[in-house]
Amino acid sequence: MPEGKYLGALKEAIVNLDFGAIVEAARGAMEAGVDPRVAITEGMVPGMAVVGEKFESGEYFLSELVVAGEVMKDGMKIIDPYIKGDISTAVERAVICTVEGDYHDIGKNIVITLLGVQGFKVFDLGMDVAAERVVGAVKEHKPAIVGLSALLTTTMLRMGEVVEALKAAGLRDKVRVIVGGTPVTPDFADSIGADHCAVNAMEGVHKCVEWVVGKERR
Amino acid sequence: MAEMTRRERILAASGKRRADKLPFFHNWRHCQTGWAERECRNRGMGVSWARPSYVAEMHGVEMTETQAVSSGEQVIRRTYSTPLGSVTLEEKRETGVEQWHGLRSWQDVTPWQTERAIKGPDDYKVLKYMYENLEFTADYFPLEQAKEWLGEDGIVMDWVLHSPMQLLMIDWVGSEGGRFFIHHARYPDLVEEAYRTISKSYEPLWEIAARSPADVFLLADNIDAVLVNPRLFQKYFIPEWNRCAEVMHKHGKLVAAHCDGRMAAIKDLIPQTSVDIIEALHSPPMGDLPIGEALSLWKDKVIWTGFPASVYTMGAGATKKHALKLLREAGSGERLAVEMSTENLVSDENLLVLTSVLEKAELPLTAEKVDEIERLLA
Repeated sequence: MPEGKYLGALKEAIVNLDFGAIVEAARGAMEAGVDPRVAITEGMVPGMAVVGEKFESGEYFLSELVVAGEVMKDGMKIIDPYIKGDISTAVERAVICTVEGDYHDIGKNIVITLLGVQGFKVFDLGMDVAAERVVGAVKEHKPAIVGLSALLTTTMLRMGEVVEALKAAGLRDKVRVIVGGTPVTPDFADSIGADHCAVNAMEGVHKCVEWVVGKERR
Repeated sequence: MAEMTRRERILAASGKRRADKLPFFHNWRHCQTGWAERECRNRGMGVSWARPSYVAEMHGVEMTETQAVSSGEQVIRRTYSTPLGSVTLEEKRETGVEQWHGLRSWQDVTPWQTERAIKGPDDYKVLKYMYENLEFTADYFPLEQAKEWLGEDGIVMDWVLHSPMQLLMIDWVGSEGGRFFIHHARYPDLVEEAYRTISKSYEPLWEIAARSPADVFLLADNIDAVLVNPRLFQKYFIPEWNRCAEVMHKHGKLVAAHCDGRMAAIKDLIPQTSVDIIEALHSPPMGDLPIGEALSLWKDKVIWTGFPASVYTMGAGATKKHALKLLREAGSGERLAVEMSTENLVSDENLLVLTSVLEKAELPLTAEKVDEIERLLA
């Protein structure tokens, strides 16, 4: 089978959310000697892009974004052992978490998957993350972007604490802060000094890409 | 029109009859007790009180709870043991849980499940056994007592935490990391079978609830169309809601469904449901469907709108502004009631300012009446 067929099969498996097909396609591609980097960047990543387009057009929903990410992970499990050395081409970094007191991470995890597809190196701090941990991660990883998620009005107030902690540490002008989650509004984002309130995962990722591609960094 | 009691007002609007004023009420579990709450109640704020009509027992299932330390944190570890195996979940309880009403903490949040009971495919057979051996028994005392205590100050609701698929999504499998969606995609037969088993187990519950003395039956489903997408809503929620409503309606009981999330994606499906009240609908900025549009789209539904907690966080000025906006979008104000909060506690300041707007909302609303309210509060 020519390489293009394998790449098409990888892409289709992701678009069709097909766990069985991705394993078959990834295995076939590796056994046929397809470069693992090519399998990822020209097979699976374009598949995720199609899924993203379908989400934006309303054909797919959040559930399909999640499942597509999971299908891609299954493909990566097959391809990973064939990769020699570090294939990461990520040049921009992001630190992301769900703020302290909040244990919701579905939106955060989708953003992480989509940012990864866009070439970001993402440091996922997890859920229930205190402001000082975010500050520590920013010092350590020097990201361009800090993403904060919350699902509750009781916990979204913690986002302001993170912004204040970044200011206190002298780091606020080094990063863009993007916030998101059901209760978070643009007015609230403004009030705490965040740079952007994401309408949804896709829009948030577009904004991050716009920031780094446009080099609108502070 | 003679002045209605708070209870009469809420029930009139809920039954699509003309009320004297726009009903507004506080949800008991988010309601503080004190001078501001008393003042607001004296000025027309009602109370909605939800209590169950049943007790549930799982036969052949042993449930044990122990305290444990997990990832350095104190948790409650709960295990359900059955002849087919066991499942275990972990729960983090903040200060105040079991000391505050509604099993909430002093911050008004419920315990967090930090580890879910249904982790993999092998756990589904245990869950199925649990629901095959679940028995509901009527117990109307909590509702009778609440009705006696509340009198004409508000309404008493019977409720069930979540309908069958929502139980899987929120309680047993959980949505962290999209786990439910992944299970639904990887193990569709297991999820489907669990749904059908839970659904069957609920049939006696609908019959018990239909005969209860509650004014309204609440399906406390936490619907957010971003999570419960149109395909899921159509397949798993509409049939279940309609089965529930059919039984309730035979006994003259109203059914409310808790829809506190973003509803725009399923707005065209709501008319296919037989529920009477869309409860906790949040208009923008928290929700994505304005009240005016919802009232226009769902002409056979009553809307109890939840006042957005994110507006409260912006202070009393924002609360007043949003309340006036809500009245302007409400048309005549019929088929509408306002819940002060369906999410968490409201500050005295916000509660008072919201009351100061809503107490003046005589029906039918007109633009001139809202202008006059705004002028009086300037």
